Amino acid sequence: MNARLFLHIASVEARKRMSYRIDFWINTLFGFLAEFGVHFFLALALFAESGSTQIRGFAQPDLVVYFVTVLLIQKIVMGPDFGGHVSEDIYEGGLTRYLLFPSSYTPFKYAQHMGALVPLILQAVLFGVLAIFVLEPTQALRVTPWTIAGAIVCVLVANLLYFMMRLPLQLIAFWQDNVWSLSVMLRFASRLLGGAMLPLIFFPAWSQDALRILPFRALYDLPTQTFLGQLTLTEWLTGLATALVWCAAFTLIARAVWKRGDRKYTGVGI
Amino acid sequence: MIRVDDLSKTFRVHKKAPGLRGSIRALFKREYVDKDAVKGVSFEVGEGEIVGLVGANGAGKTTIVKMLAGIIYPSAGDAEVLGFRPWERHNELRRQIALIMGQKAQLWWDLPAADCFLLLKEIYRIPDDRYRETLGYLSEVLAVTNELNVQVRRLSLGERMKMELIAALLHSPRVVYLDEPTIGLDLTAQRAIRDFILAYREEHKPAMILTSHYMEDIQRLCKRILIIRDGEFVFDGLLEEVVQRFAPSKLVTAHLSKTGSPAPSTIDVERYGEVVECDPNQVCVRVPRDGVAEVAAHLLQHWPVIDLAIQEDDVGTIIERIMRNQEDAGDA
Repeated sequence: MNARLFLHIASVEARKRMSYRIDFWINTLFGFLAEFGVHFFLALALFAESGSTQIRGFAQPDLVVYFVTVLLIQKIVMGPDFGGHVSEDIYEGGLTRYLLFPSSYTPFKYAQHMGALVPLILQAVLFGVLAIFVLEPTQALRVTPWTIAGAIVCVLVANLLYFMMRLPLQLIAFWQDNVWSLSVMLRFASRLLGGAMLPLIFFPAWSQDALRILPFRALYDLPTQTFLGQLTLTEWLTGLATALVWCAAFTLIARAVWKRGDRKYTGVGI
Repeated sequence: MIRVDDLSKTFRVHKKAPGLRGSIRALFKREYVDKDAVKGVSFEVGEGEIVGLVGANGAGKTTIVKMLAGIIYPSAGDAEVLGFRPWERHNELRRQIALIMGQKAQLWWDLPAADCFLLLKEIYRIPDDRYRETLGYLSEVLAVTNELNVQVRRLSLGERMKMELIAALLHSPRVVYLDEPTIGLDLTAQRAIRDFILAYREEHKPAMILTSHYMEDIQRLCKRILIIRDGEFVFDGLLEEVVQRFAPSKLVTAHLSKTGSPAPSTIDVERYGEVVECDPNQVCVRVPRDGVAEVAAHLLQHWPVIDLAIQEDDVGTIIERIMRNQEDAGDA
């Protein structure tokens, strides 16, 4: 797929997503606020329970900043519930349309996925700007133009990684009508093991090495820690390389699943 | 342009016993049955030809179209469309074919049709001037120029179908599959679509395969038809041949004068064929095609006939009978 078509598809999807104004604002206000509320009170509870001013190197204001950052990043990495569209395409026969196009299905869906991110990015920027005025991090966090640029690169890779992680699960719809439960499991596992629910440093020491190798860390923890200036260049490069290796692995898995599943496709009805 | 050779498709279908017990059992053990949707069909379609694929629901029409459009894989056999195997999905082939499904919208509902067309322009890499020219022509002929900027979901069914046609034909395909393109449309819209398809065929000469449950579609658009029953072709030939082959008899109806001499007994005409109706006003006899002249002459000579009608069975009725495998639809 050429870049021009990719951008056109993404642009069409973005326009489509933003054509529903009320949906946009409800998501902006309530979606973000509800999740932020959960994380904010979790941070308060953690510090109240421990009775100390620092937990694993995090002061309370810094933990709140972490949660806000990871929340905004998570929205962009996960995107709207878009991976589900692949299984719906298979289940409802929408795949037929794409199979007729002289263009590959996965890049087409990824372009749509990227377009669907536009309203989420707008929401994240809106809340990010608000957060700058409201939050008061300590000197331990060092946000600079470099860390912001590094985080953007991480978010782009993480977004691709999450899309590719979901794809093989979604393609199971060639055999199973409903793969919703698999998506929920992935969502939960990725948030827990990726640092979206708690910073990974809060996990037991024995699990740290495994978490570094697994793909989940690259989804939320890596971009967040990069943004907050908590990583060395080596750590950043290693994390990014791990994420890219996982992207390649999931691409190969998705390709193999597609090759077998495609033969099962009926296009709905006989 | 299209060559199909002994093509078959078998689907493996999950079979579940009814009721809660069946549902619980299916959680542990699944039973499958093989359904032969298409059984070894062969045919060819040439340039500028519209072939009607006719059959009852579940006969295998759409499955054939899906295989030829490269959407599903066959279980056996082979096919070539413009020199390519469709299910190998070469982009060169996909740029030259189109599939219009009356039952399944291909356009994006949340977008105006014009936005969908622009996206298709990029997908099919249609040059700007050709795109403008084709869109102008198609939207004018189909009379939807004013609706191009309306969200697809807000269009009427007829308008939406016209937009689907435009979307499918924007890249000037050389092979077009029309799967029930007039389904659910009112008579005016049906007629407009039929006229358009004929005009498009005249101008562009694509190979077309049309499936439809409306005999009017088939009669207006197709010279040649393929009748499919339970996955197998039972007829491949000209539409007019269907009548010759599957309607071995004609109905001869004589309207009788009330004031004339009394009608003779039916025994008199029974030797020519089956007497369908006989009362003082008229007599109807179904006779073999080659016996029509003889029975007509006999009636005119011996009965007080004031009017005589010789009726051919309606081709739609004949096709329906063949599709349903009714006994009287056997070979002549």
